[in-house]
Amino acid sequence: MRHFRRILPLLLLLLAPLLFTSCVKEDEYADNPRGNFEALWRILDEHYCFFDYKARQYKLDWNEVHVRYSKQISDQMSDEQLFEVLGNMLGELRDGHVNMYSGFDVARYWSWRENYPSNVNDSLLNKYLGTNYRIANGMKYRILDDNVGYIRCATFENSFGSGNLTNILSYLLPTRGLIIDIRNNSGGLISSAEELAARFTNEELLVGYIQHKTGKAHDAFSAMREQWLKPSRGLRWQKPVVVLTNRGVYSAANEFVKYMKCCPNVRIVGDKTGGGAGMPFGSELPNGWGVRFSACPIYDKNKESTEFGIAPDVNVSLGVVDFYNGIDTIIEHARKLLE
Amino acid sequence: MKPHLNSILVAGLMVLSPLYCAGQTGTMGDGDRIITNSRMIGWGATKVLDTYLSPEEYTGPDLRYISHTLRWREGSRLINALIHQGNIAYIDNRSGDGREIAGNYNFQYGLHVVCGTWTFGGNELQLEAGGNAELNLGFIYNTRNSNNPAQARAYLNVLPTAALTYTFRNPFCESHYRDFRLRYEVGVPVAGLMFSPNYGQSYYEIFSKDNYDHNIVPTYVGNAPSLRHFLTLDFPLFRATFRVGYQGEYLQARVNNLKQHAYTHALLLGVTKTFKLIRVRK
Repeated sequence: MRHFRRILPLLLLLLAPLLFTSCVKEDEYADNPRGNFEALWRILDEHYCFFDYKARQYKLDWNEVHVRYSKQISDQMSDEQLFEVLGNMLGELRDGHVNMYSGFDVARYWSWRENYPSNVNDSLLNKYLGTNYRIANGMKYRILDDNVGYIRCATFENSFGSGNLTNILSYLLPTRGLIIDIRNNSGGLISSAEELAARFTNEELLVGYIQHKTGKAHDAFSAMREQWLKPSRGLRWQKPVVVLTNRGVYSAANEFVKYMKCCPNVRIVGDKTGGGAGMPFGSELPNGWGVRFSACPIYDKNKESTEFGIAPDVNVSLGVVDFYNGIDTIIEHARKLLE
Repeated sequence: MKPHLNSILVAGLMVLSPLYCAGQTGTMGDGDRIITNSRMIGWGATKVLDTYLSPEEYTGPDLRYISHTLRWREGSRLINALIHQGNIAYIDNRSGDGREIAGNYNFQYGLHVVCGTWTFGGNELQLEAGGNAELNLGFIYNTRNSNNPAQARAYLNVLPTAALTYTFRNPFCESHYRDFRLRYEVGVPVAGLMFSPNYGQSYYEIFSKDNYDHNIVPTYVGNAPSLRHFLTLDFPLFRATFRVGYQGEYLQARVNNLKQHAYTHALLLGVTKTFKLIRVRK
């Protein structure tokens, strides 16, 4: 034993250098067009969460994408040319959460809203809001002349204070129903969407499922975990609610619609939402360009993906004649539903 | 304090005192207690990789403070080690347009046994071996990521340690009563527990939804081959003892399919103080 005690420290001293041989490192790609292309393809290959879903939806084959775009890469190409090729490659994913950021441009896929009628108009919104509206935490709200409460929630970027939401709902309490207009709300904090939706349920609701990747393989996912919407401890709304949507409703706003679909006394009116059901992660290329991509898929309560949007309960579009008459068809339809 | 409370306290101490003394004679010896405390500032370079945040390695300066304490009793072969270490690093990616800030607090408590002492002329070489328990709490903040901007660094480790101390006469003044001391210390974590999100798991899921998924991971030399070592020289100058040294840290982990490392080389400068605690009877 005594002998062992003497030998142990010497062994430790001798073994220590061996640890240097077992380095934990990541493959480093060269900072040239080929290296940046390979790095981008691999980041997505190992982390993007919708490969299998999109293979089923429109036969996306990421290996085939590599073959096709690899031919377009040459060492002589400029940064702008490389950006265009890489941006086009990312477009194959048809995902609004996939972006690439350089000092001169942002690569994006916005077809989920650009290819459809906008179904919202600022002039009309201004007409309905007038000038005598209130603002709390980025939300504009007022009581319309037929005693319907109207909240314009254009973003979930802000963290809603529970006091603010209570103030808003208290002000709108005398009304006979509430319109929450989230058209063109492209998301923000999922916790804000949850906090707002929690005002419209008196009991805990199963609203969906969430999972995450556990490895590099396209099908390496954790088990689906339930998402529960807990009723708010603050003032909760008990009257009818109509949520107005269009194709510009994306990401956290899409989640909000998913939650509200599960709440009682709530109807979704307008156009299908834009989707965006993957929580995004960030990464970067050797040349410093930032990359964003969907990393954690979220599902509705039926375990169906909402990546490509949620259909409304009542599909209503902005009418051209109404528009010229200063009428927002979708708001008017919601008011009728609340009569 | 009330008189009866005093009596209870004194009685309690009297009951426990034989145990305390027995413990001392058995493990710590009977001599006076000696404490050597070194407080050092370190400045160096670090390379940090965390594939949860980025596949790129970030490099840059690292600033650290270390309080290193050894406590023992004269005549005893046991040495208590106590290390507090805090560091902060502001690091860059290779393209130069991304930043990370990394910080850690590391605490180690250990027990070393003097395995051998050899004397060469008036100089002495001492070999120690033992084990430390280590707690680390830290973070890396990536300034460009939105949904995965930060990574927590929390782990508990058991690490066998070894140290060689060479105490030698002042080479510049043989008659000087204060010695120089060269010490090399190495520790290799062999087992522990580490916090880590799963491969693509968001902190929202862990902390807002309480969705646990292998977030406390057992570590061993195979998945977290790491090493920390110091080389320091204590030398007397004027009325103080100064310390210069080098610290190398090679901290690595491969858990939940995520890779991380922090390689740091730092130059240490500090002051060493040695105290002798003498029991005073009144």
